[in-house]
This record gives sequence, structure tokens and C-alpha cells, in this order.
Amino acid sequence: MKCAICGREADERSYCEMHMKAYESIDKKYGAWKKALQISWKEYLSEIVKNPLTGEWAKELAEHLIRSGESQNVESS
Amino acid sequence: MSLTREIISQHARTVCAVMGKYALIITEKPDAAQRIASALDVKEKAKKMEEKGVPYYLAERDKEIFVISALGHLYTVAEERHGRNYYPVFGFKWVPRYVAERRAKKIRAWVAAISKLAKGADTFIDACDYDIEGSIIGYCILKYACGNKEGVSKRMKYSTLTKQELEKSYSESLPHLDFALIQAGLARHEVDWLYGVNLSRTLTIAARDWSGKYTTLSTGRVQGPTLKFLAMREKSIRSYVPIPYWEVKAEVDIDGKIFQAKYEKKEIETKREANTILSACKEKNGIVEKIDVRQFNQMPPLPFDLGSLQGEAYDLFGYTPRRTSNIAQRLYLDALISYPRTSSQKLPPAIDYEGILKNLNNASEFRKLTAELLEKSELRPREGKKEDPAHPAIYPTGNLPEKVLDSSERIMWDLIVRRFMAVFGEPSTRQSVKICININGHRFLLRGRQTLKEEWLRFYEPYVRSKEVLLPSMKEGETTNIKKVIVEDKFTKPPPRYNPSSILKRMEEAGIGTKATRADVIQRLYDRKYVRDERMVVTDLGFEVVEILEKYCPTVVSIKLTKELEEKMSKIQINSEKREDVLLGAVEILKSATDKLKEKEEKIGEQLSNAIKRARLDERIIGTCPVCSTGKLVTLYSRKTGKRFVGCTNYFKGLCNTSFPLPQKGTVRSLGRNCRGCGWPTVQVRIEGRRPWMLCFNPKCPLKEQRRKAVEMRNLR
Repeated sequence: MKCAICGREADERSYCEMHMKAYESIDKKYGAWKKALQISWKEYLSEIVKNPLTGEWAKELAEHLIRSGESQNVESS
Repeated sequence: MSLTREIISQHARTVCAVMGKYALIITEKPDAAQRIASALDVKEKAKKMEEKGVPYYLAERDKEIFVISALGHLYTVAEERHGRNYYPVFGFKWVPRYVAERRAKKIRAWVAAISKLAKGADTFIDACDYDIEGSIIGYCILKYACGNKEGVSKRMKYSTLTKQELEKSYSESLPHLDFALIQAGLARHEVDWLYGVNLSRTLTIAARDWSGKYTTLSTGRVQGPTLKFLAMREKSIRSYVPIPYWEVKAEVDIDGKIFQAKYEKKEIETKREANTILSACKEKNGIVEKIDVRQFNQMPPLPFDLGSLQGEAYDLFGYTPRRTSNIAQRLYLDALISYPRTSSQKLPPAIDYEGILKNLNNASEFRKLTAELLEKSELRPREGKKEDPAHPAIYPTGNLPEKVLDSSERIMWDLIVRRFMAVFGEPSTRQSVKICININGHRFLLRGRQTLKEEWLRFYEPYVRSKEVLLPSMKEGETTNIKKVIVEDKFTKPPPRYNPSSILKRMEEAGIGTKATRADVIQRLYDRKYVRDERMVVTDLGFEVVEILEKYCPTVVSIKLTKELEEKMSKIQINSEKREDVLLGAVEILKSATDKLKEKEEKIGEQLSNAIKRARLDERIIGTCPVCSTGKLVTLYSRKTGKRFVGCTNYFKGLCNTSFPLPQKGTVRSLGRNCRGCGWPTVQVRIEGRRPWMLCFNPKCPLKEQRRKAVEMRNLR
């Protein structure tokens, strides 16, 4: 399976090791953002895409999540 | 005096005539040979001679002494079998460098000259630098070029190239070479060679066989784990998601001056909490609740070892570790400082503190400070824990420059001299003040810091980086006027990228590599394009190399195992480990690693080839096309003429035909930033013998216009 973002070898979640690490980071930090600003998952993704301190892979992944409209694990459950 | 010299000289000639033999001293570098020969010659004027372009010196003393230098390593490890297309490689031998390296042809003349001089010598003295590398250089020359003279050779041990120390080390030469040190050094070279040749060849062959194109890829025992450090940090940065927080600050008006006090909780996690504090403090006065004044001593710095000198020079002047190391080496060869490749933080009294300071007293810029130190009843330096059995910490010899130093040498020498003086200084006394201001139940802190007694800080003055923040005098219970309270939006920051200095420090902490090799390992990462920029960014190629090694042979990039191997090699030095056992251990690790890599050669080849392709494309990209704004400007080569130029990638789609000429000589590299005049992408052009310059492609760039006008005005005038 290929990574949906960069085309590298991917795992069953269709992300390569690097973008998977970015996914974990995005997922983990949402709690802090939600507490700080009371924002939704989508708003959160747009915020981190805009932020210059966000890492390159995290930005790519956030853009991909926005495009694909994927909701966060926690929210969907 | 001259009569005595003449008598000694005559005596020396008589002895030589009787014996017909002379002593042969081997040094590591030509400058050292000249200094040693002059120091040992009775007239301090050694005769310079030449053998097929190789300089050597004749000094007259109790007997004739010929001093000849190496050019660093004259011998190296090479494979027994010829050819570069196979792996694993476990058979090796020591050969002259010109046999193994195409670029080392001039070494042939050096080896021949030494061999010729060795034939007439009856005494052999190894005077190479007293460390692992120097010991191997001397050992190999004595064994291979001089014909197995390593067992009868004496050893000169010195830390400075001053006449006094060289004479002493000659007359008190050690009776034999330090064989344990040599064994440790040989093992280190052999293990490094085994790692380097096997792993690098595996990667290079895999990529070449897959793509049909040759690119040198390398990794090594120290290089791999170092790249792993960088890749781990890069991964954290690239997957980093910042978290918002808020800071609340109050502007306090004290006697017409504004001071900024920070809220006692540094990071406020929610916007609501920050706004609550803001509204509570708005338009309220503050009351000084508590004033906390503390005095503390700041100890003098430690003497420089190579690592700390490299760190300080990077922080102060931006010099890379390799540059610092090279400058320090030149100062050492000029007899201005002691041997710089040391890990010691000790300054033993034997170096003669007083003598050095008295000599430095002759330099007007240090006179006041040295005089002050010389007045002290006792000179006792502050020392660190680190020791080096061969050399003390870096210190100035007390000699003043005989020639004009270039600016980098001058500044480095000044830094070393001032550091040396500072370690003898008394601790400085500083004071910190913390004023707690209560604004409607919320505490804000004003912090100040000042130096009460400078002491050692004066000796190290231009290089001291402590901030002085002076606060006005206030009393507890006093009411203060709060101008305004502000809330600042902040975000947590990703970990900083390593720079050449911080990665060197990390290598030191992890105990990988040696003080002599770390800077070169870092440079190699740049040369191989695994990293770029001063704030070290790992490239795709760098990531692929680490990923492959981690996936298929994690042992070779394991920091723990590298450290263990490093410790084993150090144990050879104290005779508690055998060179053969260490080598066998390394072969075992490499055999299993290369087997696994060979199994997956095709896949690895594909992965690496794609990364190389991406890296080459990235290198050619100059920036976004300023005309169509969608394509990229890249360096291209004309099929007709073979000349290079810049063109837009949209040309191939028939959308944009933007192109610009490029200089045909030298190298062109994207600067990664746009022109400050017009915002177009820029490149840096480097041509040998000329200063690099920035090139903006915009023919109508306002900066070009300005420059043109300035030239016209000048011509008119």
C-alpha cells in the first residue's frame, strides 16, 4: 500500500511511517487545542495548517484530512 | 655564547664524523619539522634541504639530526583484493596512501624521501603529535618506510612547539613508542574502515544496480548514528504541532520609566483564563508585595578542551567545529598555543603559569590584566573533571605572534588567551532581584540581574554573555502605577534544529567518535548531501539512508552499540581488551548486517535511487517562477549547446517560456530566499578565486537599477 500523501510504502492506515508520526502528533494535540480555544476538529486542522510553527509533515497531513473530510477518532466514536 | 656554540658545533661534527650516523626525527606536519629542527639546532638555524620536492631539515647538536615530516597519514587501510564491485570485505592491509587513493600521489615522494634518510640513521625518534592519530602516523612510518624501526624508536612527548619544551622532550625522550595507544589507534582505523567500506559499498552498489547511475553513498560507524540523531530531531520537527498558550504582562511605570512584569504563571493554557486575569487587572494599581534579593557567585569558566573551544567559537563567531579545529592547529604550529586536540580541562603547574603570563605581559592589549594576575600571591586555575593522559587543556604558550595573523587566527588566539587568564580569576558576585507586584489579587514578577563584583568577567570581557537588567529601588508595600496589562498569544515551539556545534556536543555526550574525527564526520554529512544548511536540515536522501539502516541492520546505527564498541577500543589503550577481539566483534556485526542488506538489495536500490533523484531535482530547483507563479524555475542544460540556463518547468506543458541565462563557470546554488529588491528567486554563484555573489534574474530589479546609477555617478565624478 502507498502513502496517500507522499506515495511511500504505507501501513494499513494508508500513511507512511513519517506521516503516521504526524497523524499521531495531530491527534494527540487536539485535546490541548480544544481546551484552550473550544474549537472543532475541522477548525483545529485549519488552524494548524495556517500556523508557521507546524511541521511540514503535520501540515501535509492536516491538508489531506481537510480535503478528505476525515473526522477525528474521538469525535467519531 | 657564540664560542660555546662553536665548540658544541665542532664537537657534534666530530662525533658524526666518527660515527657516520645521525638521528632521524619524524614529525606529523612540515611546520612542526621546521620548528623542532630550529629548536634543536645549536645555532637555532637548521639547514633546510630537499629530496625531490620533500623538505627536511638538518640540525646540529650532540650529533647530526635530520628532521623530516609526514603529511598527516602516509599509510592507510586498504582491501587485500582489488576491485570495488563486491561486498562484504573483511581482508585488509596497511598500504601507502598513494596505493589506495588516487588523489594522494604526492605521498609517494614523501615515503621515498623518508626511506632514503632512514637508511643512514642509527637513532629514530617519533615526534608526531602525542595522541592516537599521531602515534599511528609515526608507527606506520617507522614500520613501513624506515624498515621495522618501530621497536627501536624513541618518542618525543610535548604539548607545545616552544623551544624550551622541544629541547626538554628531545633530551628526555621516552625510550619506546606507546604500543598500547598504537594498538588502540590501529583497531579504531581498521574497525572504521570495515564499517565504512562494507556499508557504503552496499548502499552505493544497491543504488547503482537499480538505476544504472553511480552516486557515492556512504555511512560509517560514527556517521550512521550521528545521522540518526539528526533524523530523529528532524522527524520531531516535521511532525510537530504547536499548542496555543497565553502570556499576561503588566507595564509598570516607575519614576517615568516603563518596566515589563510577567504574570507569575508563565504559560496560561486557556484563552478564557487569560482574559479573566486581564479584566481583573485592568486599570488597577499594583502593590509591591515582596522583594527578593539574592547574591550568588559565578565561578570562572573552565579551561578549553577542543570540544568547548569549538562550541564557544561557534556561539561567538559562527565558526564551524572544523574551521575552529583548523585555526587552532595553525596557532599550535606557530607555537602560540598548546596542542588543541585535547579533551583535558586541567592546567598542571608544570606549564609554568607565571612564565606564560609574564610573556603575555609584553602584549599591550593584555598588559593590564596579566599584571593584575601576576600580583596574586598564588596562581590557581579553575579546572574541570575531564582529563587527557597525553595533553593538558588548551593554553597560550606565552609566545607573541611572529607574523601577522589573519583575522580568524587573531580572534581565536585572543579568545584562548583571555580564557586562560579568566580561569585564574576570582569568582564574580552577581545579584538577582525579584519584585512581586500584586494587581488586584494577581501576582506579576519583575526580574533584575546585575554584577556587583566583576572579578574574572573582566579578563574574559569581550566574550562574556551575561545580561544586566537594572531595576529601580522599591520598597515593600509601595503602590505602583500600572500603565497597561496585555495578553499575548503564543505557541509552543518545536525542538531546535541541531547546528554543527550542538551536534558535536551531542556526539560527545553520547561518547561516539573522537575529538579528532567528530568535526570531519559532520562535514561528510554535508558532502554526501544527507544534510543541508547551518541549522542542519536532513534531506530525503539522509532520511532514506537512516531508514534503510534502521530497518535492515539496526545494530550499525545503534547508539548504545556504537558507544560499547567505542569503550572496547578505549580499553585496548589500557591493555584490558585485545585488538583482535574487537576486530572479530566488528566483523561479526558487519557480516550479519551485509547479509541482510544483500537480501533486500533490489528494494534498497529502488528506495535510494528515488531519493537520489528527488535530491538532484531539489538541488536544481531555484524557486517559484515569478512570471507564471505556478511553475518552478530550474537549472537546465541546452541540448544544442550544452550550456546551462534557468527555465520554468511549465515550458514542458507549453504554458510558460520564461528563461534566463546563467554564468557557465563555477557552481550555482539556490539561496532559498527571494531578492529583497523585487522578490524574485535568487542564486549564489561561486567561481574559484572570486568572491561568491548573489544573482537576481529580474532584468528590471530596482536594486540593479540603483547599482547601475551608482556606477554611472562614480564614473561621472
